[in-house]
Amino acid sequence: MLRRLLTVYGLMFFVFVYAPIFLMVVYSFNANTLNMMIWSGFTLDWYRQIFGFETSITDSTTYVDSSAQLYAAIRTSLTVAFSTSILSTVFGTALALAVARYRFRLAGIYRTLLMVPMIMPDIVLGIALLIFFISIGMNLSIMTIIIGQSTFLISYVFVTVSARLAEFDTSVEEASADLGATPAQTFRKVTLPGIAPGILGGWLLAFIISMDDLVITYFIAGTGNTTLPIHIWGMLRRGIKPEINAIATLMLLFTLVIAGVGLYLRSRRQK
Amino acid sequence: MPSHLEIINARKAFRTPEGGRLIALDGISLRLATAEFVTLLGPSGCGKTTLLRTISGFETLDDGDVVIDGIAMTQTPAHRRPVNTVFQRYALFDHMNVARNVGYALEIAGRDKREIRTRVGEMLELVGLTGMEKRSISQLSGGQQQRVALARALAGKPKLLLLDEPLSALDKNLRQKMQHELKTIQRELGIGFVFVTHDQEEALTMSDRIAVLAHGQIQQVEPPSVLYQRPANLFTADFLGESNLLRATLDGSQARLSDGQTFDAPRAAGEATLLLRPESLGFAVPEGPKLSFTGRIRETYYSGKDHQIELETLAFGTIRAVIRANGTVPEIGREVTLHASATGLHLIDEVAP
Ligand SMILES: Nc1ncnc2c1ncn2[C@@H]1O[C@H](COP(=O)(O)OP(=O)(O)OP(=O)(O)O)[C@@H](O)[C@H]1O
Ligand SMILES: [Mg+2]
Repeated sequence: MLRRLLTVYGLMFFVFVYAPIFLMVVYSFNANTLNMMIWSGFTLDWYRQIFGFETSITDSTTYVDSSAQLYAAIRTSLTVAFSTSILSTVFGTALALAVARYRFRLAGIYRTLLMVPMIMPDIVLGIALLIFFISIGMNLSIMTIIIGQSTFLISYVFVTVSARLAEFDTSVEEASADLGATPAQTFRKVTLPGIAPGILGGWLLAFIISMDDLVITYFIAGTGNTTLPIHIWGMLRRGIKPEINAIATLMLLFTLVIAGVGLYLRSRRQK
Repeated sequence: MPSHLEIINARKAFRTPEGGRLIALDGISLRLATAEFVTLLGPSGCGKTTLLRTISGFETLDDGDVVIDGIAMTQTPAHRRPVNTVFQRYALFDHMNVARNVGYALEIAGRDKREIRTRVGEMLELVGLTGMEKRSISQLSGGQQQRVALARALAGKPKLLLLDEPLSALDKNLRQKMQHELKTIQRELGIGFVFVTHDQEEALTMSDRIAVLAHGQIQQVEPPSVLYQRPANLFTADFLGESNLLRATLDGSQARLSDGQTFDAPRAAGEATLLLRPESLGFAVPEGPKLSFTGRIRETYYSGKDHQIELETLAFGTIRAVIRANGTVPEIGREVTLHASATGLHLIDEVAP
């Protein structure tokens, strides 16, 4: 009986989580231009549409004002994601190493403080960052997005790298020193390869979250800098139209590819 | 002989998580001559690994000093000490293959690739892992990993090698082969070995000298034969090999056992303990003065080389003896008399409480 219940519960879980995503992907191929809930045939027009190709869909039904704007948003998002993820990976890793290796007073409190940004409501973080940038007289720009996102993405990298460090056996670092390696050489040849899966994981996580962040970024982006989520949000405000499904499906694909690459690199390292 | 390594009054205490202090090294002094093979022998937890770690530079001493080739090492970080270690838990680099592990010291020293490859090949041949260069560490058995650790520590030709139970994971045959190899390497390269083992036979056959440790202190340092025949205290006598320890009362010229037997012992009057190794007892009656023990055979064990006999006596309880396997062994329950020559007996100035 309990088994049956658990099975049903498990199935429902998957339905609730994946049904909307599944429907979104299906709708992105639906040829019905008037009501996307009704299937009228397979088409790739929505995809052609967002990339600015000629389609049979008349302009009045679409809200991608111009694919140039979409491209610009994607470019901004990628620039931000690359800069932020690299920045937060460097700092997050350094912090994780410091907290793991050096005993200092209040290390526990420090560790907790580093995790706080992950549980902080986005709105609060967004407002706080906005006020901060304004009060130090910094104009909102792509720079403020990068700095702002880094402040909380460091936490994610910190946690991922810390987890890896916790299971990393420091005796190999001693072995390296014993064989004559300077601390710098030991770090490069032994420590870094040892925690590389954690660093890589943290970097990918930071990249994906950065690509995806709407609320915080919305507060600190200013007017001239539209990231992909902000762009999509803008389109949605004028009604849900099928090409949104296509854009979201592409984003999903992109995320899956990144995660897949991460898993692949990880499994290769562990062999 | 110049001293190669000198440990002077080394003290080290650890703070335990329970809040106490654990004295791991309690004033240890030890000298190692050039190219000497010294074994640290002692019960688990007596401070052997800690002592090695202070020599290699991974523990700082609370007091005392480590001197290598006349240079005090207190301020020298581990990577600049001319010492390599075979770690008790191997500590191999598992993201590198066997060849890179073994060649690590040379890679760090910036030697050229061809030289490293040759040396790695030699080292692998030495430890019996020829052709395994490309293997990853996780594809090796425990014993193979241990040998990689050994090859890695030897490849850089250190002046001094610290070995923390380097052969513990090997089977008896391989172990004996590696014992010979190690001894040969040590003699040929002329490097000093500080060797830790729990295997007494290994300690006795390989060492120039053995240091017996207990409770963070050195009990005695002597060549194996001296240590075995003339242990300085009850701990050493009991820890190393089998022994019969009999209480004796001295009157200045003679010693008397509790059953009234006497033997010559020209030394100060008082209480002492007589050490009789099992192999000094036998059925044959020796010439000259002797000690005799009569009792019932309680148990016999056959070990391949010899028979061990446990004799139940009235005065001394169990007496152990070892008889060569080709001699005839009386069956259990028979009453027999064992004899030992009473010349050159070793007395320990200490009595069991
Ligand atoms: N970092 C440490 N912190 C606290 N106590 C320690 C530490 N390292 C070792 N000890 C303690 O010091 C004592 C000596 O340890 P050590 O590892 O030197 O023993 P050992 O002689 O090598 O034992 P074994 O033969 O089992 O390897 C032990 O009681 C151990 O619990
Ligand atoms: Mg040990």
